[in-house]
Amino acid sequence: MKTQILTVTLSFILCLTARAELKWEQTSVELHPARGDKQAIGHFKYQNVGKAPIHFKSVHASCGCTAAQSQKDQVAAGEKGEITATFNIGDRTGTQIKTVTVETDEAPNQKTVLTLRAIIPTELEISPTFVFWKQGDKPAPKTITVRAGKDFDVKHIKVTSSSPDFQTKVEETGQGQFKVDVQPNETGRPIASTLTIQSENSPKTFYATARITTAPTVPVAPGAPTIQKAPPAPAAPTAPARPSAPTSQTH
Amino acid sequence: MKFLLARQALILAALSLLPGVGQAIYFRDKISWRSPIPPSEMVSVDQARQWADSAIWIDARPDNEFAGDHVPGAISLNEDRWNELLPQFLAAWSPGKKVVVYCSAQSCDLAREVAERLRKEAQLPDVFVLEGGWEAWLKKNR
Amino acid sequence: MKETSNIESPGNDASFGVGRSAFDVRRFVWRILDFIIAAIFIYAGVLKAFDPVQLAHDIDHYKILPWTIGVGLAFYLPWLEIFCGLALVFRLFYRGALSILSALVVVFLVATIAAKARGLDITCGCFGHASQNWSFPAHLALDLGILAALCALCFCSVARARAGTSPTPTS
Repeated sequence: MKTQILTVTLSFILCLTARAELKWEQTSVELHPARGDKQAIGHFKYQNVGKAPIHFKSVHASCGCTAAQSQKDQVAAGEKGEITATFNIGDRTGTQIKTVTVETDEAPNQKTVLTLRAIIPTELEISPTFVFWKQGDKPAPKTITVRAGKDFDVKHIKVTSSSPDFQTKVEETGQGQFKVDVQPNETGRPIASTLTIQSENSPKTFYATARITTAPTVPVAPGAPTIQKAPPAPAAPTAPARPSAPTSQTH
Repeated sequence: MKFLLARQALILAALSLLPGVGQAIYFRDKISWRSPIPPSEMVSVDQARQWADSAIWIDARPDNEFAGDHVPGAISLNEDRWNELLPQFLAAWSPGKKVVVYCSAQSCDLAREVAERLRKEAQLPDVFVLEGGWEAWLKKNR
Repeated sequence: MKETSNIESPGNDASFGVGRSAFDVRRFVWRILDFIIAAIFIYAGVLKAFDPVQLAHDIDHYKILPWTIGVGLAFYLPWLEIFCGLALVFRLFYRGALSILSALVVVFLVATIAAKARGLDITCGCFGHASQNWSFPAHLALDLGILAALCALCFCSVARARAGTSPTPTS
């Protein structure tokens, strides 16, 4: 029992005296970019509380979508600074967690991982974003569910098909949820359509794809070493395409 | 008494190993000891090459890296331009195709994120992440 | 007066009954503490054991331990907590369980305090994904409380052993 008390006491003393030289204000930052923001920027402030200068050996992010920059290469004793992490949102949705690894010449804690958590507001959640029929299948309607994101009040949505070969029907199912029924006129040939989905009070556009696919290909015998080019796409508009003869549904 | 204490602690520690090992075996398909991506969603370069024409390769790296070099025939699909690039990929996909997503090396999360979006949003079956990424493909092919 | 055989004759020592009942109350209180601590660890262990895959990802999010070690801990730690909790309840390998649980709490405390001193945002994840939104002071208070209770149980166990009133041969 005495040994246990001694261990606990020693641990506490060690913790109080073990001060790292590079002290971070926080190593985890949560950002809430607004709708339409292209970037989310996190600031990680630090101070050199030690007696010797600290040199940054490297500052690198976990992915190419995040750029991390240090204000200075060397931090003198007592000096403060910050590392800026700029996260390019692009077409990302939901909670994104990106890390920045900072390496210094400070011993023994040479590596620090900074975490940037960005909660990207999603106005409309579409599931699935792709519906397809195989050639020759019965042209039965398939349903895409559109749900308003948290903190968004969506009363009406408009769905436009880029191809007249697909019909869409929108039905509100309540509580910000919509049912979009997509039906091809026929499944005899490989055709595709980009469905543009927009809510009434927002300029942002969302997309889904509807397609008649070719029949499944017969697998080639194993051992073929080269990767062949993907088969030529059927007459599908590149998205976000300007609809050629749009058929639109509003609800 | 000290030996009794140590013996009791060791017995408890050993007993706890049994259900732990059992769970590790039960969850072996859902979690890999080597990487955060489960084994059922990973594919090696050799396995992917065996699929030949029934595989579609996706490059999840940023545009400039794709432009520099990529697997011949691979389609670029990254989250920077997801809305623009996804329909181009979907135009090339057909049922029965296996999708192989890669990015730079094992520690890169881009391939995993793109693969997850294809599974969840587009609800595509047979989506895999290439073990070892672009570097593993280079090693086997160049 | 008719006496029935199962009625004890009062002894000569008038304080005997009072002393014995005080002892029983103390033992009862210690047993309650045993059950409370055991319940906390069994609950924490069961919560984490249900989803070891999520626990491994939660550990990995902090990027402190290598992935492989995180996976090992995710599969092992919950069961260690459950077995030690059960050992407290059934008083089997009692002191061994107390030692392991004390060591676990000390490690969690040291890691949490040292990380906070360095400016890191760490929560011990004692209750798996469910406790990720707890504040640092809340975690610290709970851990210190549990450690105090474990220390008290250790004292009591040692005192009982020295007095030769060890309740079961295996504790």
